[in-house]
Amino acid sequence: MAEKKSFFVWMQSLDRRWIYLVVALAIIIPLLIPYNSDNVTTPPTENVYQMVDSFAGREDRAVLLSFYHDASVMPELYPMQIAIIRHCFERNIKVFFLSFLPTGAPIIDMAINTVKEEYPNIKSGVDYCNFGYIPSALIVPTVIGMGDNIATAVPTDAEGRKTENLPIMKGITNYNEMNLVIEFSGSTAGAYWLIYARPKFGTNIAVGVTAVMAADEYPYLQTGQYIGLLCGLKGAAEYEKLVDVFAAYRTPGEPLQPYIDENGNKIVPGRAFSKDILKQPEIKDLIKITTQTEAKFTPEEFELFLKSCPEKDQPLLQIAKQTVEGNIIIDVSKLDQDQLSPITWDTLNRLTRNTQYKFKVARVGMNAQSVAHIIMIIFIILGNIGYFLQKAQTTKK
Amino acid sequence: MSFELFSNLVGAFFTLCIFSFLYKDNPFYQMSEQLLVGISLGYSLVLTYERVFIPYFYQPIFLKHEWILIIPSIIGLFYLFRFSSKLSWLSRYPIAFSMMSVGASVALAMHTSILVQMRQAMVPIENINLALIFIGTITVLLYFFFSKAHTGVYGQFVNIGKWFMMVGFGASFGLTVMARISLLIGRIQFLVNDVFLALKQAFFG
Repeated sequence: MAEKKSFFVWMQSLDRRWIYLVVALAIIIPLLIPYNSDNVTTPPTENVYQMVDSFAGREDRAVLLSFYHDASVMPELYPMQIAIIRHCFERNIKVFFLSFLPTGAPIIDMAINTVKEEYPNIKSGVDYCNFGYIPSALIVPTVIGMGDNIATAVPTDAEGRKTENLPIMKGITNYNEMNLVIEFSGSTAGAYWLIYARPKFGTNIAVGVTAVMAADEYPYLQTGQYIGLLCGLKGAAEYEKLVDVFAAYRTPGEPLQPYIDENGNKIVPGRAFSKDILKQPEIKDLIKITTQTEAKFTPEEFELFLKSCPEKDQPLLQIAKQTVEGNIIIDVSKLDQDQLSPITWDTLNRLTRNTQYKFKVARVGMNAQSVAHIIMIIFIILGNIGYFLQKAQTTKK
Repeated sequence: MSFELFSNLVGAFFTLCIFSFLYKDNPFYQMSEQLLVGISLGYSLVLTYERVFIPYFYQPIFLKHEWILIIPSIIGLFYLFRFSSKLSWLSRYPIAFSMMSVGASVALAMHTSILVQMRQAMVPIENINLALIFIGTITVLLYFFFSKAHTGVYGQFVNIGKWFMMVGFGASFGLTVMARISLLIGRIQFLVNDVFLALKQAFFG
């Protein structure tokens, strides 16, 4: 017992720098050795996802993303921005960007370019529009002005082009069409939209905030003034998962890009949100954050996939296929990219369900977060035991 | 060495300089802190010149000859008189104008922060969450009612409000810890992926 007491007393006087070191290791090790884990999605995140997704493929709907933060809170907000932009690009959703902070403007450019690398068909002014930096002195006229006419409130985009002449503006006039604003901030800046846009124009508002600010924002969520809320890295990890399970999901044979069917209808690939799908055990294959190289098909799915590929690729795919427990598996790491046409290569890579690092940053981070939390809980328990033992000892003396 | 890797190395150097404060204060930390302040200010100044001064002052007045804008520009310049002890009273005029936006927001802010909150607190108590919100709202409001001493049955009742607040503070603190760890994760992801693994890739393939 005496030995135990001395350990706890020693813990009380432990130099804080050792604790820093342990916390740093608790974060570094899970980052270097990633493992698959699940992030249970919560209704505030699901609501944002569903609202964004309801605009899929529509000419007369758009989302506005407002970056009201600088680089200091990027680790929490940037992954959620990437996830939402990816969702919009995957599901053919028009998206606008602006920042009322000078230091927010380059973050918009960085986020767009990071996602755009994977979507070469996405065009500025057509699929998205970046208004760039708008001085904070103009917040009120801009927020209210957009309720009347977006092109009048923000006459030019970040590239100096007339807003009204941009193809993206076809079918978009004001908040009736751009009916969702998502504010990203490390403060209560979302209140601007809540005060000026929601009561007057009925605009739907959602926020992506740092975890510190979440407690301040919950009252507005609970009263239904925010349609949803992304809370720090956890919210970002949840959104990343939803994008992987629904928006980026492709069945074998399905095109990767939106297309017009034989009846002239616009078809946007991906699938709609469903709670039932989230409960299915099969989604574990879609949300793995470790590197995946194998595309798995049932024999029927493989036939559909083959039909969708150019004829010259089909013999190569037949050679590469392996049959394991009745399923057909193709390992992309054993294929030569140059021998396959780009469409086959891209589709095959999509069907491996391998997510690129930039689209799973938050989930990898949440692994480290979990380990760090466990370490801190242990420290708190040990510290408290030490404190009470020391107190009891002092009282006894 | 690519430009991206070089810029990442510069970022890594300054990240480690800032982290060195965890050991103890040192000249590297101070240098990085002062550089950050200076660069942020310089960047904002240039961007404000390009995105505010040119499109909202120079172009309308000197190129489009919208002379009426000279009046608000002069009022705006009054801000600079803050530095003069004799004429600092002039700076109150632009401040007075900017206060208009505060006035404009009062009615709408009342709607958002008071009326809607009150309306949502007055819904039928149909489930346990709403019951907790009801009890929490009443007891916390009574806790801040200082005209009556917190003694006896009343004191025990308002103590429930104190517990509700403690739970709220605990949630806030937990979220704060999560936020700070997230920031650290972000920096370590940068050091591990964008610097360490990139260096390994560049030199060892």
